[in-house]
Amino acid sequence: MDEDGIIDPNQTDYNIGTFNPMDAVMSEEAIANLGTSIAGEEGNPLSGLLSGIGSFLSGGGAQGLAGIGLLLNAYNRLGGIGEEGLRLGQDLATTQMEQAAFRPYTVTTATGGQFGTQIDPTTGQLSTTMAMSPQEQAFQQQMFGGAGQFFDQAAMPTGDREAAIFERMRATMSPEEQRQRLALEERLAAQGRLGVRTAQFGGAPEQFALAQAQEEARNRAMLSAMQQARQEQAQQAALGQQYLGASYLPQQQMLAAFAPGQTAAAQQQQAQLYGTGLFGEATASGIDALLASGLGQANLMGEAGTGLLSGLFGARSSTATNPFFSALADLAS
Amino acid sequence: MAQQLSSINLVAPAFKGVNTEDSPIAQDPSFAEVADNAVIDKRGRIASRKGYDVITTTKTELGSDSIRAIREFRDSSGNTEIFSVGNNKILSGTTTLVDETPASYSITADNWKMVNFNDKIYFFQRGYEPLVYDNTGGSVVKLSTVTGAAGVTSAMYGNEVLSAYGRLWTADFSSDKSTIYWSDLLIGHDWSGGTSGSIDISKVWPDGYDEIVALAAHNGLLVIFGQHSIVVYQGAEAPATMSLSDTVAGVGCVDRDTVQHTGTDVLFLSHTGLRSFGRTIQQKSMPLQTLSKTITKDLIALIQNESSFYRSVYSPEENFYLLTFVGQSTTYCFDLRGALEDGSLRVTRWPSSVFTSYERLQSGELYIGSDQGISEYKDYQDNGESFRFKYYSPSLTFGDASKLKFIKKIKPTIVGASGEVASIKFAYDFDETYRSVAFNVPSSGAGAEFNVAQFNIDEYSGTTQQVVRKALNATGSGSTVVVGLEADIDGNALSLQEINILALVGKTV
Repeated sequence: MDEDGIIDPNQTDYNIGTFNPMDAVMSEEAIANLGTSIAGEEGNPLSGLLSGIGSFLSGGGAQGLAGIGLLLNAYNRLGGIGEEGLRLGQDLATTQMEQAAFRPYTVTTATGGQFGTQIDPTTGQLSTTMAMSPQEQAFQQQMFGGAGQFFDQAAMPTGDREAAIFERMRATMSPEEQRQRLALEERLAAQGRLGVRTAQFGGAPEQFALAQAQEEARNRAMLSAMQQARQEQAQQAALGQQYLGASYLPQQQMLAAFAPGQTAAAQQQQAQLYGTGLFGEATASGIDALLASGLGQANLMGEAGTGLLSGLFGARSSTATNPFFSALADLAS
Repeated sequence: MAQQLSSINLVAPAFKGVNTEDSPIAQDPSFAEVADNAVIDKRGRIASRKGYDVITTTKTELGSDSIRAIREFRDSSGNTEIFSVGNNKILSGTTTLVDETPASYSITADNWKMVNFNDKIYFFQRGYEPLVYDNTGGSVVKLSTVTGAAGVTSAMYGNEVLSAYGRLWTADFSSDKSTIYWSDLLIGHDWSGGTSGSIDISKVWPDGYDEIVALAAHNGLLVIFGQHSIVVYQGAEAPATMSLSDTVAGVGCVDRDTVQHTGTDVLFLSHTGLRSFGRTIQQKSMPLQTLSKTITKDLIALIQNESSFYRSVYSPEENFYLLTFVGQSTTYCFDLRGALEDGSLRVTRWPSSVFTSYERLQSGELYIGSDQGISEYKDYQDNGESFRFKYYSPSLTFGDASKLKFIKKIKPTIVGASGEVASIKFAYDFDETYRSVAFNVPSSGAGAEFNVAQFNIDEYSGTTQQVVRKALNATGSGSTVVVGLEADIDGNALSLQEINILALVGKTV
C-alpha cells in the first residue's frame, strides 16, 4: 500500500501485524499480582474469587491460563484479520474507483475544432465542451447571420414585396401599353371616334377591349407578383434553412470527427476498466491469501490454546471442584 | 312692201324655272326671269301652284301665333294623331287645336322638332326636357316620367333629333355644340343604359371648329351638318363602332329644318344655296351638288336677311322641295322631277308666303301651318282667296340683239284656268314698266273644245282643263323684249303651254 492507503499491486508484503504466541501467556507474577490486587480489596465480593484464582494458578492453573491466553489471542487475532480484510477491501475499492474513474480527454479536429470533456474537481460533475476554430466560428456566424436575415425576410409581410414586384412588372409593361394606347388613340382619331362614350363600354369598344386587356394584364401581373412574393418568401425561408443548416456544419463535422476519438476513448476506458478489474481480482486474491494465512495463524493459536485448556480442565474435573470454577459460578450467580 | 312678221315660239316657257344668275340677254328662253306662285307641272310646263285650304276651325289655343311645326304621329297599330306647336304650346288636332302641353311644363319657344320612333312621337327643343306621346298613354308627357327612363338630363336637351337606325339621336345643346347622344336601341327614353352613348366630334371638324346644326341618316351613314362643315360617319347602325367616312369643309347647313330626305338624296340649305348629297355607293364618295345655281344670289340674300326661321318639306306627290324663309315670307319651290344640265333643280318662287310649317302626311297630303292654323295644300285658292301667278321671260333678242323688234302679236296658249283674268305683259330694253294686255279666260266648258259631249259620249272624261289660245295685239319696239303673263288663280289651275310672238324685225340700232 502507498501512503494513501491504495494497494500497490507491486507490493507483496502487507503488514498485518506480527504475532508472538508467548505474548498471549501471562506471567505467573502477573497472575499473582492480579490475585493480590483483586484480593487486597477488602470486602470485595471478588476477593474470594481472586483468592480462588490464586489458589488455582498456584495449583497448576497457569497452564490453563496460558491456554486461555492463546485462545483469547487467537480470538482477537481473528477479529483483527476480519477488520484488516475489511480495510483492505475498502482500500481496494477505493483504489479501483480511482482506477476506473473517467479520464477527461480532448478531440481536436483537423480544422482546429476541439471537443473535450472535463470533470469539475469540486462537484465532480462531468462537462463537455466544444470549441471551433476561429475560421469555423466566423463561418458559423456568417451563416447564422445570413439565416437570420433570410428568416427575417421570410417573416416579413409580403405586401411590400408584392407591390415592389408589381411596380417592376408594370414598369416593364407600361411602355408597351402606352404604345398600344397611342396607337388606338391614333386609330380612333383617324376614325373620328375619339369622343365616343357608350353606356356599354364606357368609351369605344376598342378602348374598352384595350383597357380590359390591360387591366387583365395588370391583374395577372398583380397575381404573379403575389405568387412571386410568396415564392420568394418560401425561398427566403429555404435559404434561411440552408444557411441555418450550414451554420451547424462545423459543429456537425466536429461531432463527426469526435466519433472516432470517442471510440478510442471508450476503448481506453474499457482497457482501463479491464485493468482495474484485473487489479482488483489480483489484489483481492492477495487479500484472500493474507486473510487465509491470518486465519491459519489464528486457528493454530486457537488449537494450541485449546490444547492447553483441554489438558488443564481434563485433569481436575474428576477429583474436586475447582475453586476457580466455583468462583466463576458464584460470579455467575 | 310690207315686211314679213317673224314668229318666235316660246314653247313651254320657263320649264327650266327661274334663272337670275345668268345675263338676261344670253339666257335660254326656257328659263324665266320671274316665276311666282308657280310650279313645274307634270308636263314640264310652268303652272300655278296649288293654294292652301285651312282646315282648322278652332284655333283658340294658337291665338294669333302661327303653327311652327306639324307632325303626324303614326304607330304600328295604325293610330294617328296630328301634333303641332305654336303659341308656346303643344297642340293636337287639325280642325280644333287642343293644348297637349304637360302640366307644370313651361314653354317659351316653339322651335320644336318632332320625330316618330317606335310607336311614339318625341318632341325636342334646345334647353327643354324632351316630351313624348304614345297612343297608350294618350297624352304628351315629359320624357323623364316614362317608366324606365334613364339619362334624361339637361345635357341631352338637344335642338336636333333624328330617328334613325333604331335609335334616337340628338345634338345641338345649349352649351355643347359638338356632341351627339344616341339612345338605347329602340328605347327612346333610355339615354344612359344599354347601348346608348355619345360622341364628341369637336376634334373631328375639318375646319377645327364648328357647331352641329342638323343630323341626317342616309344610306347607312350618319350625316352631321355643322354650320360650315359636314362630317359623315359610316356604320351608324352600330354607333359604338361607327367610324368617320368623309368630311366636307366649307359647306355647312344653315338650319335644322332645311334638311329633307328625298329617298335617294339628302337636301339641305347651305350658306351658298340648296345642296344635296349624291348617292354614289360604288365610289363611296360624297360629291356635293349645288341645286340652286340659278338663284344663288337670291338665296344668299335671303339667308343673310333671314331673322326668323326656315321651314322646308319634301313632297314626292308634288315632286317638289319647298324652302320657306318665314321671316321674309318667301318660299322657293324646287322641282325634283329632273335636273338641268348643270345639276340644278328647276325652281320657282312663291312670294308673300304665309306658310310657317309643313308636314307631308303618310297619305301624301301636304299640311301647311300658318297663323290660320293647319291647312291642306290643295285646290287653287289661298283659303278662298285668289293668288297671283306671274311669269316673265328673260330678255329676248330673237337671235339678234342689235336689231329693233316690233312686237305685233302675242299669242299665249294657256291650259286650264277658267274665268280668270289674265294679262300679257311685255316691255322693251330692260324697262321694268310693262305694258299690259288683259284678257278673260273663258269659263271652263264655254269655249273649250274638250270635254264636250258628242253624241252623249265624253270624249275626254275626267278632265275639265281647257286650252285657251289668245292672239293679243302688242305695240312698241326695242332691241330686247320681255314677255310675261300674270293671272289671278282663283280656283283653277293654270299652265302656260306656249307663247308665240309675232314681231317685225327692223333696222339695226
